[in-house]
Amino acid sequence: MPSSPPPSPSTDLPPVVQLESVGLRYGRGPEVLRDISMSLPAGSFHFLTGSSGAGKSSLLSILHLARRSTRGRQFLFGEDVAHASRSNLTLLRRRIGMVFQDFRLLDHLSALDNVALPLRVRGVRESDIHKHVPELLNWVGLSKHLKDPPPILSGGQKQRVAIARAVIGRPDLLLADEPTGNVDDAIALRLLRLFGELNRLGTTVLIATHNESLVSRVPHIPRLHIEHGQLTYIPGAEGPVPPLPVQDDYKDDEA
Amino acid sequence: MSTHPSVLPFQGDGSNNFLPVLVALMVLLSAVALAGVFVLNEAVGRWSRDVSGTLTVQVLPVAGPDGEALTDQRVAAAVEVMRQSQGVIAARALDKKRTLALLEPWLGSTEVVRDMPLPRLIDVELDPDQPPDLNAVAHRLAQVVPGASLDDHRVWLSRLISLSETIRNIALGIVALIGSVTSVTVAYATRTSMALYRSIISLLHLVGASDAYIARRFARRAFALGLGGGLFGLTLAVPTLMLIGHAAARIEGGFLPPMSLPVLAWLSIGCLPLAAAVLIMMTAWLTVYGVLVRMP
Repeated sequence: MPSSPPPSPSTDLPPVVQLESVGLRYGRGPEVLRDISMSLPAGSFHFLTGSSGAGKSSLLSILHLARRSTRGRQFLFGEDVAHASRSNLTLLRRRIGMVFQDFRLLDHLSALDNVALPLRVRGVRESDIHKHVPELLNWVGLSKHLKDPPPILSGGQKQRVAIARAVIGRPDLLLADEPTGNVDDAIALRLLRLFGELNRLGTTVLIATHNESLVSRVPHIPRLHIEHGQLTYIPGAEGPVPPLPVQDDYKDDEA
Repeated sequence: MSTHPSVLPFQGDGSNNFLPVLVALMVLLSAVALAGVFVLNEAVGRWSRDVSGTLTVQVLPVAGPDGEALTDQRVAAAVEVMRQSQGVIAARALDKKRTLALLEPWLGSTEVVRDMPLPRLIDVELDPDQPPDLNAVAHRLAQVVPGASLDDHRVWLSRLISLSETIRNIALGIVALIGSVTSVTVAYATRTSMALYRSIISLLHLVGASDAYIARRFARRAFALGLGGGLFGLTLAVPTLMLIGHAAARIEGGFLPPMSLPVLAWLSIGCLPLAAAVLIMMTAWLTVYGVLVRMP
């Protein structure tokens, strides 16, 4: 799986993400991110690891444009974020799928409407939405829960709705913040397999996690390790790529 | 019209429930003020037509042996003042014979008063398109010619017109003020509502919603609330105006101007709910947009 710390110009495509000496501080507080330089080539798969409070979520918030860095330069899909117009920022966001640690589902909407959200804000036709969204929810084993609102779904089901929402728009970059934080190891591996499948389809994937046991199960995947606001690159293990543990496909959960 | 639920759960949000009541009140007050503007417009137009045309200046006779000559001088001076006034086409002094002829219908024979000093009259023709400022003319006349005065009724009418115009402008100002206050209130309510839905707005941004998409959600809701409140206000305004018209019609003697509203007035008042809804919608849209552009 391709990977890179500082630039790897082995591909003709510009890096999906490129940060140069990026720093972030909240208000007048100390810098929570310092001199972050990184590059994610198109189609790469990385873990973002680090202990709780190390700065993983802060880095992700910069990457999915929820927050502006306080210094340094940030390029997304080759575009300098600092100079992008608001309409271009919107277009950039549409190329990013984000799985939030706390899911951030809308409780007053059904699972279907939650997943449809990225499509509706883009003005996709309802007929297309009602074709593609149930397909995806079926794929993640939630075909019996299309009309269920998040409050009556289990933690694992919510997680899958959140993932479906992140990928429904076929993003070029998928960011996930502790996507396995609320599920057991078996489900975590199934989710990892899902992300692997998306990656094989060309999506660049970055998964933030502090689940060391999960990371150790897939040692060939390179890591970006963050500690005290600083980033280090840990290449994936050499040798043949072990297949991800195959789990049963999602079965429709019973309500 | 889409059938999917709103991404912003306005249905369960009571923070804007007061808005229809506010708009209803705004439409009611605006309708009354607007009706007043139309009534005053009619009155001012009618009175203006009355004061245009001709005017009479009266010069009191001077007593004494040289009274006749002095009176002639004052009359000549008054004629000159009138001719120099803007909006005066012609000024012509009536001779004593013509003045006596005017008195004949009341006195019968004018032999008795033929040798008495009589007030002298000046017939003034006014430009109806550019009527003079009668207050200013009267003031100048009094300064230059002692004992000269304008026809009192016309001066009084001119002052009444001036007062009416002021009241009409104030009424229009009140309509504008009501609109401004409503806009400020809607902007405040919209900001409150945005604070309530901050996390959803943030999420919408992150899944790729444009500022315009989010602003439209708030604007549509504001329009619906505004139109509902406006129509309710209109249903209150119509009987109120009819009641005022009915009460005014019972006052006899032509003291008040006619209170019946022209068709244009009813049409304007009928459009108030829509105008209010559009005003509120635009305010909400601009408020939301203004807040969003400051977000990352």
